[in-house]
Amino acid sequence: MNFFDILQLAFRNLRQAKLRALLTTMGVVVGVAVIVTMVSFGLGLQQNMLARFGALDLFNEITVFGRSLTNLATAGFDRQTGRTNEGGERRGPRLKPDKNPTRILDDAAIAEIAKIPGVAYIQPTISLYVYTRANGHVRFEPAAGASVPNGSSRFKTFLAGGMISSADADEAVVTDSFTEDFGFENPADAVGQTIEFLAPPTNTNEKSKSEPSQAAEEGPANFFGIPLDEQDTTDASQTDLVARTFRIVGVLDLHLKDGPGQGGMVGLLPGAAIYVPVRAARQWALEHRGPMSQVALALARQSGSLNGSEAEGYDAAVIRVSDPVALTDVRKRLTDLGFGSFSIVDQIEQIKTVFLIIDSALGLLGGISLLVASFGIANTMIMSILERTREIGIMKAIGAEDREIKLIFFFEAAVIGACGGVIGVLAGWGMTALANRLAYRFILKPQGASFIDFFSLPPWLSASAIAFALVVSILAALYPAARAARIDPVRALRHD
Amino acid sequence: MSLLESREVSKLYQMGSTSVTALDNVSLKVNEGEFVAIQGTSGSGKSTLLNIVGGLDHPTSGEVFFNARPLGPFSKREMARYRRYSVGMIFQNFNLIPTMNAQENVGLALAFGGLRGTQRNNKASELLNRVGLADRLTHRPGELSGGEQQRVAIARALANNPKVLLADEPTGNLDSTRAHELLELLRRMASSDALTILMVTHDRELATSFADRIIQMKDGAVVDEG
Ligand SMILES: Nc1ncnc2c1ncn2[C@@H]1O[C@H](COP(=O)(O)OP(=O)(O)O)[C@@H](O)[C@H]1O
Ligand SMILES: [Mg+2]
Repeated sequence: MNFFDILQLAFRNLRQAKLRALLTTMGVVVGVAVIVTMVSFGLGLQQNMLARFGALDLFNEITVFGRSLTNLATAGFDRQTGRTNEGGERRGPRLKPDKNPTRILDDAAIAEIAKIPGVAYIQPTISLYVYTRANGHVRFEPAAGASVPNGSSRFKTFLAGGMISSADADEAVVTDSFTEDFGFENPADAVGQTIEFLAPPTNTNEKSKSEPSQAAEEGPANFFGIPLDEQDTTDASQTDLVARTFRIVGVLDLHLKDGPGQGGMVGLLPGAAIYVPVRAARQWALEHRGPMSQVALALARQSGSLNGSEAEGYDAAVIRVSDPVALTDVRKRLTDLGFGSFSIVDQIEQIKTVFLIIDSALGLLGGISLLVASFGIANTMIMSILERTREIGIMKAIGAEDREIKLIFFFEAAVIGACGGVIGVLAGWGMTALANRLAYRFILKPQGASFIDFFSLPPWLSASAIAFALVVSILAALYPAARAARIDPVRALRHD
Repeated sequence: MSLLESREVSKLYQMGSTSVTALDNVSLKVNEGEFVAIQGTSGSGKSTLLNIVGGLDHPTSGEVFFNARPLGPFSKREMARYRRYSVGMIFQNFNLIPTMNAQENVGLALAFGGLRGTQRNNKASELLNRVGLADRLTHRPGELSGGEQQRVAIARALANNPKVLLADEPTGNLDSTRAHELLELLRRMASSDALTILMVTHDRELATSFADRIIQMKDGAVVDEG
């Protein structure tokens, strides 16, 4: 008796008690549909979330940390967990390095890191708060340095204008909220306007001494105007403060970002309202450091951690890897070089673990309903053995082996399991599709949101749900099949 | 040399504290090609003996030999093979599968014998043709007379070309005309296939008119080996 004969017999037996077979199969259908719906909901949740992270450049970026000024200043003294050095000049999420960096992240280090295989680009992070004047308004605004050219997705969508033209240009890119705050009616109105960075007059004087060429170049008339306008106090107090001007060349579109990107978090680069070329931002940060930062610098120089003229390095830089796969290797190289680093991927791994637990819990619910279905299968099988005792006796009398009797029952269960599995997957798929339509129709659409697939039903889930149903069904038939094989033919055939 | 032999076969049934002796040291021999009838009153152990010889049951003591080979050491699987290929059995109540038609009933035995597809169908209809049921292939047992059902059972018993046919009261549910017809058929098939037949019956007249030899049983023991 071959596979096909046994399958045929199994089908015949199921047809004999159609309603019973149908009801038993329904149990499996429900179990599988629940599994599929639950797990695909969990997977969909995960997928939607990870897709957003991916779209926001959070998978392929690393923040690298150098030895901070606080660390340099307190070297040789009792190590204290110092507060940050820049006196409130930083902004953005506080990302922590995996270990304390031992090297200074200066331009040489940046160049070295850029050569690590897999690093697509590196851009130092410089975040500052600056009193900014534009369009007749003055505000205390967060500003940041941006490499030019810049491949980060943050600088991809502009409401008006475009990216800063070169690394040395006195140009700035601002956010859409900046234009609102500064009273521009349309984002486009801001393009071509000037932004003035304000600084204390003394600082300006110092600066003009130390680096006259830089400041004088682009600085408007007020620079030369300082001695001229000395008598005109009102005017001087106004103009004296202007330390640097930039021309707005682009307005970023961050408004439409929702989800994890809300508030301009695109990639690991800390957000700001104004972006100017890195060099300009760096220069500003060094020249207009806060008093606490000055103390730290002085301490660092005293302790010998920094040479007399040497500046401290960047606090951090953002690295983009060419391939997320290379991320771990690059991070290892950074550690070897003595830098600290941070990447979202560690967190993603944890998130994935959480999702695994969620999926398992959801799957367990489905598993329980399938377990209930398996009792149904066992019950059906035992019933059918009682009805078919004579038939089994006959088969044994004409030469059926125990193995063949068992196989007939296993195949019956397998047919129930496979049919229930396939129909269950289809039912689950239908349910998820329906749920999606309803969610769109009654929740998303009234809010003006676009269609989102809340569920993810990958082929492996369908396949494993069917396989699981099959395995559970066959396990349920284990006892009934053994019992059928044990039937004593003499007893079964004794005439009633 | 005898094809079938039982040597001091006993069968005891334990019924609580008392035990029933269904067979008591039964020894007999059946030669190849013989048509032997076992005759005895109801409860004398005829069916029990036949089931043991047919490999459906095991003796409490003693041994059955087929072709000089003892059945005792057979594994379950070998026993199934023995039932499949070496012996064919028919019963008083026919024991056909009611949900299968004549051809399917015979085909089931052929399937266990490893035949498939058209080969199986052809062999089934050929066997049914031999027992005179060529026009009843698709009839289910319920749509056939007693005599016809027993003929389907014969076709099924002979499906895998056994050497022995074991018949337990094959005419018990038939009137005497049908009974004669059936035994006539059995004798014809036996001679053409060189079949050995061991038939249980309580009908002395039938036994004497068809069997080569009659074994008498009483209270589980052989009283006359014929
Ligand atoms: N399973 C059983 N349990 C107990 N006693 C049995 C069983 N099978 C048969 N017997 C007894 O064995 C004896 C022989 O039975 P059986 O072989 O069927 O007789 P026969 O076929 O000659 O009418 C009877 O007394 C019967 O009651
Ligand atoms: Mg009997």
